Amino acid sequence: MNKKTPVVLKRMIFISLSFLLLLAGAMLIGLSMGSTKGGFKAIWEFVVSGSADDSVLNAIIWQIRFPRVLVAALVGATLSVGGLIFQAILKNPLAEPYILGISGGSAIGAIIGILIGLSRFPGINIIAFSGSIVTLLLILVMSSGKSTLIKDSLLLSGVMVNAFCSAVIMFLISLTQDFRLHNIMFWLMGDLSSSDLYQAKILMLMLFPCFILIFLYSNTMNLLLLGNELAITMGVNIKAVTMTLLVVTTFMVSAIVSQCGLIGFVGLVTPHLLRLLLGSDHRILVPACILGGSTYMVICDLLARILPAHGEMPVGVITAMIGAPIFIILLKKTKT
Amino acid sequence: MTIAIDVKKLNFSYKTMPVIDNISFCVKKGEFFVIIGPNGSGKTTLMKTISGIEKFKKGKMNILNKSVKKYSKRMLAKKIAFVPQTVPIDFPFTVTEMVLTGRAPYLGIFGFEGKKDIKIAKDAIAFTEIEHIADRKLNQLSGGERQRAFIARAICQKPQIILLDEPTASLDLAHQIKVMDLMEKLKIEKGITVVMVSHDLNLASMYGDTILLLKKGKIKSIGCPKEVITYDILKKTYNCELYLDTSPMGKFPRITLIPGKYSR
Amino acid sequence: MKSSINIILKYRLFLIIAAAAALIFTFTDVSQSKILKDQLGRVVTISGKPERIVALAPSITEIIFALGKGSLIKGATQYSNFPERAKKIPRIGSYVHLDIEKIVALRPDLCVAVKDGNPQFVIKKLEALKIPVYAVDPRNIESVIETLKELGVLLDASKKSKAVIQNMQERIDKIKKIVAKADHIPKIFFQIGISPIVSVGTNTFVHELICLAGGTNLARGNISYPRYSKEQVLAFSPEIFIITSMARGGLFEKVKLEWSRWSDLPAVKNDRILLVDSNIFDRATPRLIDALEVLAKLIHPELFTTEIKRSQK
Repeated sequence: MNKKTPVVLKRMIFISLSFLLLLAGAMLIGLSMGSTKGGFKAIWEFVVSGSADDSVLNAIIWQIRFPRVLVAALVGATLSVGGLIFQAILKNPLAEPYILGISGGSAIGAIIGILIGLSRFPGINIIAFSGSIVTLLLILVMSSGKSTLIKDSLLLSGVMVNAFCSAVIMFLISLTQDFRLHNIMFWLMGDLSSSDLYQAKILMLMLFPCFILIFLYSNTMNLLLLGNELAITMGVNIKAVTMTLLVVTTFMVSAIVSQCGLIGFVGLVTPHLLRLLLGSDHRILVPACILGGSTYMVICDLLARILPAHGEMPVGVITAMIGAPIFIILLKKTKT
Repeated sequence: MTIAIDVKKLNFSYKTMPVIDNISFCVKKGEFFVIIGPNGSGKTTLMKTISGIEKFKKGKMNILNKSVKKYSKRMLAKKIAFVPQTVPIDFPFTVTEMVLTGRAPYLGIFGFEGKKDIKIAKDAIAFTEIEHIADRKLNQLSGGERQRAFIARAICQKPQIILLDEPTASLDLAHQIKVMDLMEKLKIEKGITVVMVSHDLNLASMYGDTILLLKKGKIKSIGCPKEVITYDILKKTYNCELYLDTSPMGKFPRITLIPGKYSR
Repeated sequence: MKSSINIILKYRLFLIIAAAAALIFTFTDVSQSKILKDQLGRVVTISGKPERIVALAPSITEIIFALGKGSLIKGATQYSNFPERAKKIPRIGSYVHLDIEKIVALRPDLCVAVKDGNPQFVIKKLEALKIPVYAVDPRNIESVIETLKELGVLLDASKKSKAVIQNMQERIDKIKKIVAKADHIPKIFFQIGISPIVSVGTNTFVHELICLAGGTNLARGNISYPRYSKEQVLAFSPEIFIITSMARGGLFEKVKLEWSRWSDLPAVKNDRILLVDSNIFDRATPRLIDALEVLAKLIHPELFTTEIKRSQK
């Protein structure tokens, strides 16, 4: 018949495996490159013989680069899937994971944490996380009392709350002088440099169950896209599903943001990119976003580390500079 | 004769405004049931209550001899399929993908179709004669083609009752007949009960076994087309001039509207 | 008798040499791994004599060079530009954004960090990789002297550190003496920020320098870097404006022009809007004394011309 349908299951497995391979490749490259040289040889030795000779290089690769590459992958996966879900729930192609106030709330939390001198972990993480949860509750309360078709009121409440939070953030920034301003700016632009194996493990513990849950809801998300009315007649409990997905996604994205700041653009563009390539079926898009999004992020983080001669660029800059042109090219190609 | 839908003293209001006012009727299994009435009579709301999109507080409804409240959402989805008038197309699926979503109530926890489901979808696509457009995206279809695709989706649900909300509203002549014929085919070949809301009195008269005429949330008349589509009843309900005779194609009433310039 | 005394003398010499050798050996045994407490009270274990040091702030680089141990520094932060030789040291990022990879790749046996600015997690990471990190907190002249002492011990440069400290003390005392003769303590507005206007509070070393140099800091108070509106500064009615050269040349002229509009200010009337080199004013290093001398001469030029005249005689 045609290549797209049947045996979506086979197609999903094929695509997932391909992306998994890509991810593994990207991670290996990410481990091999950085601000010091010699990584490729060390990785090759590791792959071939199971250990590397140079202990300093070893330390660099496994204790410094590995946690960072791991966290980058988790960030990419979470933000991409988060964007996908919000686009499905809100039925809006401009939706992205920060749209419901997560960014505003957690930023305020993080900035307050930085100003009162908390350490990155666990202090600032916890405050930033609480900030985004509080904001979500605020939005839910603001948009409650409507019927099951709560899409637009959620969106509008989110936009308003984010705007208010931006004002508060600018106010807090204007109060800060000294070196803490630098910390704040770096957090707002997204910062993977403080990644740590312990944090990565906690993140994985928090995120993997969410990924599994979301995957189980993939077909339901397909149904949501057909409109709330049709979805109800297909047996979908709109309110329960929307609420569950909202809470799970907010939880995931808050966990990431509280650790790594506001890395932008990934959540908006990766779902669209993958949709252009693979179609709108969420059973394929969810694993694709998880694996493809993580690959994308690992590559962007690598570039952020090696491109500048001194120091590193904020990774959010790279995700935008690469993502936007690719997206436009793809868009033009598929239109014809 | 088994009853497909049994409605008793149904009441539904939006806030304080009553839209459905204490109506009771039943739909027989395997019949072609058409709901007609002027704007604001509560037709669409009635359809939405039957399909579960809106929840009613007062009254009783039995679907296939079981109270609707006793069905789980999934069970109900296997009995009743809904064909809406329009559907948002921001994220266009292909026709086949969309038709396959009809199998959702039958799929396991991961929601992946098996060979059986794919065959059912293929059959539905063949039944509705849309094989030639099976790979097109939804937003590249004409209104009639899209309507048939949604009917194919509903067929995949393997329902015993199909609900259609003004299916011919924006279709051209040929497609209007095609869709109505499709419904007739479903009724005859698969024994599915067809319940339709329609503005088109002539189509209702041509195809319907039972007509339900609503006005302001109350039942004005219910019965076979000959009983309901009469000059007196229609004139009182719609409040406009019309001309009734019997169609030359069969023993069913034919309605002709009378424009101002021709009225006596 | 004499011969036995000679023998004893020789014997004593031998004893002394033996004792000295024993002491040296024990000393080096102990110094095989020192356990020290740094200025933040952290316990740091350092084995042997550090030979590869990474300085995590420009002030640290300066201090280590001042102790004559600049050649031990294998990695320094981006703005480590004093002395001249420090510019050639490989960079490891900026002091607020350190590049851990580069630090580790230099295989240091000691890192010296500053309390304000170095990210905590980097310090933790380095320690996790078994690299000892010694933290200092040079906030004022006293703590700079402490830092010199401690690093002197750490780097086996106690003699040099004593000499540097002594030089600093002498110069401070000299200034104190000269300034004591002043008959008037002028009100100083020390401006480190142009837009917004930022000055220095009590808890900064610039404040300390101003006081030592015989001036009054108008911005004294609890806030370390307080901000002011133009009106507030005008209300202070400063007698001297001292502006640091954060941005070169052109900007200072603009700022001077700006303040000169308010002709009622004593500072404007007496043409006392002055520029100083920020390099010596915002680093907690021995060069603070240079800054002190510059400041004293700017605030009390009258006391120093007599000095010069006297020394010329």
